[in-house]
Amino acid sequence: MTWREARRISSVAFGEVCLQAVYAFRQGNLPTSVDTSKAAALARRRVVQSKILVAGVLTLITAGGALVLHLAPRLAEGPFFGVPVAVPVVEAGVLTGLLSLDVAFLWWTGLQVLPTLLASGVLAVLEPLPIDARTLGRAAGLLYLRLFDLPAIAVLVATPLFVGEVLGPLAGIATIPGVLAAIVFALALALLTGRAFVRRVQGSRGGGGRAIVRWAYLVLWLLPAFAMFAFVVAAGGFFALLAATLASGPSLARDALLAAFPFTFATLPPLFAGGRAGFGLTPDGLAILCAAAGSYLAVAIGGFSWLMGAVRRVGLAPPLAAREFVPPRFALATHGAARAVLTKDLRISSRTPGYAFLVLLPCLDAVVIGLFTFVAAPSSSDAREIAIGAVTTAALLATFFGPAFFAIEVNAYAYGRTLPLGDRAIVLAKAGLIAAIYLVASGLVLGITLLRIFEPTRFVAFIAAELPAVVAAALLELGILFRRSRSRGLPVANLYAGAWWALLVSIPGVVAAGAPLVAFHLLASSSIDLGLAGMGAVAIAELALAAPLALGHDRRRPI
Amino acid sequence: MAPGEPPPTGPPLVIEELSIAYGERRAVDRLSLAVRPGEIYGLLGSNGAGKSSTIKAIVGLVPPSAGRIRVFGFDVVADGLSAKARIGYVPETSLLYEALTPREFLEFVASVRALPEAVASERAAGYASAFRLEAEFDEPISSLSNGTRQKVLLIAAFLHHPPLLVLDEPLNSLDPRSVRLMKELLARYVGSSGRGALFSTHTMEIAQQLCHRVGILDHGVLRAEGSLADLRERAARGDAPLEDVFLRLTRED
Repeated sequence: MTWREARRISSVAFGEVCLQAVYAFRQGNLPTSVDTSKAAALARRRVVQSKILVAGVLTLITAGGALVLHLAPRLAEGPFFGVPVAVPVVEAGVLTGLLSLDVAFLWWTGLQVLPTLLASGVLAVLEPLPIDARTLGRAAGLLYLRLFDLPAIAVLVATPLFVGEVLGPLAGIATIPGVLAAIVFALALALLTGRAFVRRVQGSRGGGGRAIVRWAYLVLWLLPAFAMFAFVVAAGGFFALLAATLASGPSLARDALLAAFPFTFATLPPLFAGGRAGFGLTPDGLAILCAAAGSYLAVAIGGFSWLMGAVRRVGLAPPLAAREFVPPRFALATHGAARAVLTKDLRISSRTPGYAFLVLLPCLDAVVIGLFTFVAAPSSSDAREIAIGAVTTAALLATFFGPAFFAIEVNAYAYGRTLPLGDRAIVLAKAGLIAAIYLVASGLVLGITLLRIFEPTRFVAFIAAELPAVVAAALLELGILFRRSRSRGLPVANLYAGAWWALLVSIPGVVAAGAPLVAFHLLASSSIDLGLAGMGAVAIAELALAAPLALGHDRRRPI
Repeated sequence: MAPGEPPPTGPPLVIEELSIAYGERRAVDRLSLAVRPGEIYGLLGSNGAGKSSTIKAIVGLVPPSAGRIRVFGFDVVADGLSAKARIGYVPETSLLYEALTPREFLEFVASVRALPEAVASERAAGYASAFRLEAEFDEPISSLSNGTRQKVLLIAAFLHHPPLLVLDEPLNSLDPRSVRLMKELLARYVGSSGRGALFSTHTMEIAQQLCHRVGILDHGVLRAEGSLADLRERAARGDAPLEDVFLRLTRED
C-alpha cells in the first residue's frame, strides 16, 4: 500500500472524526434533526471553520511579531531593555518569542484536539481491516496532521511573508526551517503529553484525592497557553540576558544559547539580512549554530517519521494501565439536583481537557495577574488597580466561556434527558459553576495580593458587588441557549461546532458582567465607596431582570 | 419513586394512537397498547419495526407526531418530569457519561431522583455485588467493556425502584450469569406492587420465557398482541415457538 492509499483512508476517517467531533454520537448524543446526508458535510464545514479560526489567530500572532520586528531598531536604541542591545539581537529575540508562541499554541491546540480524535473511535475501526500496519500508521499520522493542516500552513506561509517584508526575502526564506521544526515539535509534544494525559487524567479512578491529582495535571496541561503572557512579562529581562550572553564572547553560556531551540533558528533571518556583526559571532560560534540547526532539522525529520507511526499506537493503547484491585465502598453521596449537575460537570471537566480549560483559565489567569503585582506594581494602590483588573478579567472570562459548559449536556444526552431533570436545575447548576469559578479566581487574587493591598475590605466588597452580575450573565446566556435548544433541538456547542453561536451568546453575557464594572470606574473617580455601591446596584438589578427570564419558563414543558 | 411513597395505582403504561414521523418516513403508525400492573410486556419486531422509536417516545427523547402516552396517568409530553420520575430506563446502546465512574454516575442518578443517601447506598451495594461490579465501581466508564456498562445502566434503572421499567434490549452484551440474574430479578420485581415493564427485544426465546404478553410491531404497526397462547392460536401454529409465530404473523403477503 502507498502514501496515496494512506491519504485516501485518512480522508474518509477525517470525515468520521469531524462527524463525531460535531455531533458526539459516540458520547451519547441523539441523532441530529439535520438531514443525515447533510450532517457529514456540515460537520466538515464546522471543523474547517474552527481550523480557519486557529489559523487566523496564528496569522495575527505572526503579524504582531513582524510589527515588533519592524520596531526593532527603535526598541534597540530606546530605554526599553535597560542595556544597549544590537538590532539583530532584538530581531533574534523577537523571532525566538514568535517561534516559541507557535510551538506553544500548536501544542495546546493539539492537546485539545487529541482527545476528540481518540474519542471518535476511528482508529479502532480501521485496525481490523486488511490494511498493512505501515499504511495504517501513515493513515493515522496523516489524519492527525489533517487536524492542524490549515494552522500549520498559515504559520508556514505567514512567517516568511511577514518577516520577509521586514527583513528582506532571504531572511523570510530563512524562517522556514525554524517554522517547520516548530510545527513538528509542537505536534510531537501534543501527542506525547496527550498520551500521558489520557492515561493519568481520563483514565484516573474516582475519589477525592485523585481528583486533586487530575486537576494538578490539567494545570500543567494549561501552562503552554500562558506562554504569550509569560513572554511579554519576561521580555525585558530576556533581551538583556540575550545581549549580555552574546556580548560576552565565546563561553559555555553563549554556546548553549546558540544551540538552544528556537534561538538557533531565530538567528538565521537576521544573519541572512546581514546582521552577523550585530551578533558578534566568531567562526566557532557560527559552526555551533549551523550544527545545532542541522541537528534540530534532523530531529524534526525523525519526529515527523515517528508521528506517522505513533498516532496509531497512541490511538489503540488501552486507556488504563493494569492496576491493583482495591475493594470499593459502595456508599453513594447524594445531593439536590442542581448540585448533582454541578458535581457531574466538575467531575467530567476533571477528565476532559476542553472543559477543564474553561474552569482553570480564569483561575490561572487570576494567579498570573496577581503575581504580576509583585513584579510590576511599585505601590499598594497600583497593586490594587492590577488586582481589580484581575478580578475584572476573571468575571469576563468566566462569563465569556460560560456557555461552553452547556456542551457538557451533549454527553450522554440520549440518557440524561430521560431523567426527571428540569431545565431550571441545569441552568442553576451551570450558573452556580460559573459563579464558583469567578469566586475561586477572585479568591486566589485576594490571597496572592493580601501582602500588597492593605485595604482588603474594599477589595472584598468589589468582588462581592460583581458576583450578582456574573450570575446574571450566566443565567442570561444559558437561558438563551436552552430556549434555542428547545425550539431547534439541542445545539451541539463544542469546540468544533456552534462556536459562532456560542460566541454570539457570550456577547450579552459579557455586557451584563461588564456593566457594573463600567459603573464602578465611572463613579469611583468621585469616591470608591460610591463606585462600589453603584456597581452593586447595577449588578443586583441585572440579576433581578435575568433570573425570571432564565428560570421563569415552565419546567414541565415538553422536550 | 421516593421510599415510603405509596405504590402507584392504575395502568403503568398506556399508549393511544401513537404516531412518530421522521420527515416523510412514518416510524410508528397509530400504535395503541397498554402495560398492565404486574405484567412484563414484550415488544417484538424486526430491525426498523419501530420498537426503539416507541421506547424513545415513552421516555421523552422523541416527541410524538400524534397520539398520547401516559405513565401512571401522567402524560409524557405535558407532564414529562412526573412521568420520567416513575420510569427506570435501559437504552439499547450503552449511553453513559464516559468521563465518570460507575459510582459517580449512580450518585448523579440517585441525586436527580432525590433518593436518600442511605437508601441509594444500600441499593447500589446490593445490585453492584449481585452483578459483580466491585472491581470496576471506581474505574472510568470509558475503560469499561460493553457488558459492564450495561450492568451500570441496569443498576441505574433499578436504583429508585421505579414502578415502570422500560428496557430496550437490556440483556445485550451481558454474560450468561448476569442474563440469568437479570431474568430472575425482573420476574421478581414486576410481580409485586402494581409495577410493570415494557421489554423490547428481538430475541424470541427471552420474550417467550419472560413476557406475560407480547406485541408484535412490523413497519410501525402493531400486527398482533396477546399472550403466547393467543398468538399461537392467531397464527394457527399450535405449540410452535414464538419465533415461528412471529415470522408467520409478520410475513409479507
